[in-house]
Amino acid sequence: MDDEPLICLPGQRLCLCDKTYTSGQGTYERQGYIYSQLAGYVDIVEKDGVKIVEVHSSGEQTVVPAQGDIVTAQISIITQAYAKCFIKCVGDTVLRRPFRAIIRKEDVRATEKDRVEIYKSFRPGDIVLGRVLPITEAHVYQLTTAENELGVVIAHSERGHPMVPISWTEMQCSKTFIKEQRKVAKVLPEKISKDFMQSSK
Amino acid sequence: MGLSEAEKTYVLHGVEENLRVDGRDREEYRPMELETDVVSHAFGSARLRLANTDVLVAVKIEVDAPFPERPYEGKLEFFVDCSFSSMITWVLNKMKPQMASSPMNSHMASKKMLAKERTIKMISMDIGLPSSSANATPNFEGRGGEVLAAEISNCLSSAYCSSLSFDLTKLCILQGKKCWKLYVDILILECGGNLFDAISIAVKVALRNTQVPRVKCIDMDGNNVEISVCHDMFDCQRLNVENAPVMVTVCKIGDKCIVDPDVAEEQCSVGSVVVAVSGNRFSTVLQTGMGSLHPLTLVDCLKMGHKVGQKLDEAVKEVLKESLRGGDVGFIK
Amino acid sequence: MPIDHKRINGPEDTLPYQLFTKLNRKSLEQKYKELVQDGKRHDSRAPLEHRKIFMKTGVVSQAKGSAYIEVEKTKVMVSVFDPREIPNRQDYSLKGEIYCEFKFAPFSCEKRRLHQLDAEEKQYSQIMKKALEATVCRHEFPNFQVDIYALVLHNDGSALSAAITAAGLALSHAGVPMYDLITSATLGIQKDTILIDPTTIEERICRTPFWKEKEDNEHGLVVLSMLHTHNQVAQFYQSGSISLDKLPHLIETLEKACADTIPVIQQCLVKHVIKTIKKSSNVIEV
Repeated sequence: MDDEPLICLPGQRLCLCDKTYTSGQGTYERQGYIYSQLAGYVDIVEKDGVKIVEVHSSGEQTVVPAQGDIVTAQISIITQAYAKCFIKCVGDTVLRRPFRAIIRKEDVRATEKDRVEIYKSFRPGDIVLGRVLPITEAHVYQLTTAENELGVVIAHSERGHPMVPISWTEMQCSKTFIKEQRKVAKVLPEKISKDFMQSSK
Repeated sequence: MGLSEAEKTYVLHGVEENLRVDGRDREEYRPMELETDVVSHAFGSARLRLANTDVLVAVKIEVDAPFPERPYEGKLEFFVDCSFSSMITWVLNKMKPQMASSPMNSHMASKKMLAKERTIKMISMDIGLPSSSANATPNFEGRGGEVLAAEISNCLSSAYCSSLSFDLTKLCILQGKKCWKLYVDILILECGGNLFDAISIAVKVALRNTQVPRVKCIDMDGNNVEISVCHDMFDCQRLNVENAPVMVTVCKIGDKCIVDPDVAEEQCSVGSVVVAVSGNRFSTVLQTGMGSLHPLTLVDCLKMGHKVGQKLDEAVKEVLKESLRGGDVGFIK
Repeated sequence: MPIDHKRINGPEDTLPYQLFTKLNRKSLEQKYKELVQDGKRHDSRAPLEHRKIFMKTGVVSQAKGSAYIEVEKTKVMVSVFDPREIPNRQDYSLKGEIYCEFKFAPFSCEKRRLHQLDAEEKQYSQIMKKALEATVCRHEFPNFQVDIYALVLHNDGSALSAAITAAGLALSHAGVPMYDLITSATLGIQKDTILIDPTTIEERICRTPFWKEKEDNEHGLVVLSMLHTHNQVAQFYQSGSISLDKLPHLIETLEKACADTIPVIQQCLVKHVIKTIKKSSNVIEV
């Protein structure tokens, strides 16, 4: 199976859709059958006794941020009420073209929401981890950083030197030792964070 | 206007039972109201009201040079305008509030075609006042309107393209040098579904109504051509619209096909086919709407469109004949 | 016709020289007779024979997905770009949008084409959009727009069909979720003669009726696009003047022609998939 991947094309009928097989990523279900949506190879993932049929595209995937995804974004503009940013990555995949998003003041942290000040949380240029909120009528994505693991991960001081986190609200410049306020993310080690990503999905 | 699932199911069941929401059967049109000569500056004009859909068509004529590859033919161009629609309806409503009360049946010659299968009802009216009761604002604002307008005008020019449906050689003044160019401007005053059908009928009637000036003499001076046109307003030619296409939108809802969908039904349809019927032939068939159709459904749609299109064409012709007879009574002609 | 003043346009009153050639002066009857001689067309094909097709993916490196199609002389390039946010839209659209642009290159036809889209190109763009809307799983990218650009490098008839087929391939190359593979075919009819995949000359002959008075003066062009597995018509367009009795037969003929194109597209895609899988496995080994 691993040596010779099962190649499929869009619209190709893969299998019956029943209790043991369900349609997953890259497939769709119609009239009791599972069909492929992409040109790629078939992958069957077993989860809770159900086999999920997935099709992975051979090239780069077309990824669009969806609700609940962890994304990496760069802050572009800050105002009193919100920070505007560009989503650069969704999960592990780097996007070819950034998507616009905003982080509203209420969504910066979970506690003391009314005392949040955007300029004390983010500055333009910061790299932020955020979670995508349900899409409302507004035409941009809304992100939240109201979790310990979410918030600023990379920031530079006013002088342009990288900063290191010293608490969950402060970061310090590595050269000038000036302290600046940020909503800092508690970055987990690689392995744990991966599990965290998966469980959050 | 967004429909809930329950509303959609209701519409679907109605279609299944051959009794639609407004009491029509699947092959039945909503009543139409037709007026001609509504725009005094145009060479020909018509206004058609099909329930909530309201379109105004005006024909302007200008002198132009024919295409070098088709020296014997005149030109015909269609322009559809959706963008101002809501505004104009508003203006019309403002202007004639007192006339907006029920104009039905009182002074109009109403005629029921085809007594057996009450397919099409048409009401003709000579010159009257617009009776808009606009409450449905069109949902095409901005770019959406442009796309729809382009689709309609493309479909019209495609349907009028063949010389079997409309003879452009009649519009030639001097081969390769001068010809008439018809500008057909279509204004959508109100959109209540089924724009294609309404517009095609209005265009046909407007072209029938068009008076092409009679050319008195042509002078050739080297390469320059001078034409002089008859001064007499009433000495003019009419266009032959015998085979001008009539479009029928066949909508597939559930497993059945219907004609003349209203806005709600348009939303329930999975796919539709616009059929332009000219004489007993198809001059254009264009699949519209979102979904795809099974080849057999497509053929069914074509059959239904053909049948209804011919009936509709007959009905239009009958009304035209009648209105012309009425026109002769006038005091000058 | 609006003119693009930012470009240097050709002189306004020029005509293609072909208008003055002998071919153009032939009588209609002669043209019809030459359409099919001894069961063969001017390029020695049978009336219901499709021209040979060559397809290739990944021809435009800037685009997410791209495809190139050659139907003998007709050459079309299609590029597909990543979903992007729909510009100037306020409301939320549940389904993604598709933007199509069908363009004849200025040098692709007998007559020089302008850089701006003319009415014919706009119409073809719309027909293409219609065909692809039914093919792409638009619910997978709500609020987004996928841009598809088709550029005809050489038009020798049936360019729209070629563009739709290539667009299907390009979309699938770009990894855009699709319900099915799409193929398209064109057919021309003049009197009793049915020609699959007409060339420019044949297309022109099918556009005008040759006999005014006779009963059997049917003529026209039909374009049909099929979704392969589900056996669905994604798009249908007919122009000219064709009777109801003929049309079902023509649809059937086109269906068959569409089905014949499927292996080419399948082969091309499988080749592409195998190539990328090999490439990625090489990377892992290194």
